Amino acid sequence: MKLNLLTTVLPTPRSATFTPHQRKNPCPCGIVAFTNRLFFPALIPALVALTLVTARAANYPEVTIDGVAGFQDTPLQPDGKWHVHDPARPQPPIVTPGTFSENATPPSDAIVLFDGKDLSQWVDKGNGGPVAWTVADGVATSAKGDIKTTREFGDLQLHLEFNEPTPPRGDGQGRGNSGVFLMGLYEIQVLDCYNNKTYADGATGGVYGQHPPLANANRPPGEWQTYDIVFNVPHFADDGSLVSPGYVTVILNGVLLQNHQAIRGETNWRVPGEYKHHLSTGPLALQYHNNSVSFRNIWVRPIPVVNDP
Amino acid sequence: MKTTACTLLILAALVAQRIVLADDAEKIDGFTDTPMEAGGKWHVHDPARPQPEVVTPGATFSQGAPAPSDAEILFNGTGLAKWVNARGTPANWHTNEDYVETAPLGGGIRTTGKWADFQLHVEWASPNPPHGTSQGRGNSGILINDMYEVQVLDNYQAKTYADGQAGAIYGQSPPLVNACKPPGEWQTYDILFESPRWNDQGELVKKAIITVLQNGVVIQNHYELVGMTDGINAALPWKSLSHYPAPHSPEVFIELQDHKNPVRFRNIWIRSLHLGSNL
Repeated sequence: MKLNLLTTVLPTPRSATFTPHQRKNPCPCGIVAFTNRLFFPALIPALVALTLVTARAANYPEVTIDGVAGFQDTPLQPDGKWHVHDPARPQPPIVTPGTFSENATPPSDAIVLFDGKDLSQWVDKGNGGPVAWTVADGVATSAKGDIKTTREFGDLQLHLEFNEPTPPRGDGQGRGNSGVFLMGLYEIQVLDCYNNKTYADGATGGVYGQHPPLANANRPPGEWQTYDIVFNVPHFADDGSLVSPGYVTVILNGVLLQNHQAIRGETNWRVPGEYKHHLSTGPLALQYHNNSVSFRNIWVRPIPVVNDP
Repeated sequence: MKTTACTLLILAALVAQRIVLADDAEKIDGFTDTPMEAGGKWHVHDPARPQPEVVTPGATFSQGAPAPSDAEILFNGTGLAKWVNARGTPANWHTNEDYVETAPLGGGIRTTGKWADFQLHVEWASPNPPHGTSQGRGNSGILINDMYEVQVLDNYQAKTYADGQAGAIYGQSPPLVNACKPPGEWQTYDILFESPRWNDQGELVKKAIITVLQNGVVIQNHYELVGMTDGINAALPWKSLSHYPAPHSPEVFIELQDHKNPVRFRNIWIRSLHLGSNL
């Protein structure tokens, strides 16, 4: 591990919510809730002890550079410049957005996935059973498990609105973490990145672990934020090899964050994306990541691939 | 018995639909004496090219959207200081309340500023009550560098050839769907544009690419332009095949077209994009 004057190496302890099961199915949004600055000084001796005892936790040494916690023991991205979740990767420039498509009414060909009444179009992603999320006052709030749509979609345009908890709690990846999983596999990160630094490829609007957003266009917690997303599915040959990657365009609060960005593969924690053969449709999923994040006004339109039938 | 009745009904419905389609096709202006487009299936401005499916957009999307902090406001109702006419003299279109209206026969107006890859927000409204038909109904356009046109037209419940509809890359790419609002209502375009690039030898190395959301509906999705809107035949530019111009700077201006119809625009802002910074 290379060190410089700005670098400190922090072991990441096992958190109460971070189970061995989750480690096997890596949590795509990191687990840095324990870097809370207030909490940390008192914990140093304990952490050192914990590191000695739980050698496995020490396999994931967190690095903090300029106040950004991340990892540098991870593989390099294909460009060879940055590690996955690299805290040294440049922070996206801050852009203060206006309101944009807040409360946008769905076009006539849209499938409304949540209109404030219920989550009847969704099931628990893990077991296919009823969702654990709550619905109140027209808002769905994440709880105890990811959810996915009962319908499957191919190429699509998605509109949704989210709201981060206020007052904010936690730091880095531990603050208002959720995510939009296209086809249930490819994550567009949802995080409270307003006055909250995290590694660039884990910021709101990032293709998690791969492509940071072009800008940090977060609104403050407690204000509704809009995602307008256009997604084209990846295509595979009969032998399972990749023919064309998935592409995603992401507009957060009216600010372009991803422009037809080629996705490198399924989202994972601490490893680069990798494709595995799948069908040409899949569900949309929303992540529960130990934080209560609220959602409303979710609609999707299947889109034609080309303009020339 | 029930099954037979059902079948008959379905057949009747199908026949009726066909008649309507045939009837519609007759009403579409267009051209078949034009060259074939790149795909080899349709003539430029072919009336037989399928009409994009009609999608009723939501009541509101980004109407009145305030500019993000890094955007340059090109027009917000208070004057045309950032615009000139094609001769470089002050823009002569009419401003009124929060909008600017074309001055028919006054020529287009273009920005003094230039951008390479950009995100553009612009709102427009067609004349109400509507006048004219097909390409004569509320015709204007967003002419990027006076070369690459996103069509502005009133084809709400009005027919015209597919590659000339609102949101078309004129003469090349029809909109994915027809997401027009009625004349008089404000409509939004949110446009993502990547400029074409040439190398030092003058060879085109990257085509222009565009994504357009009309009223919150994606109508062009990362479309790679065949070339500029004016075709290769200078005498009949709008009826001949598209091609790329001589190399030009990636930094391009925005022009609003005067096509002799009084079309209104408002709330125009633009952001430079630094694409590739997140690869």
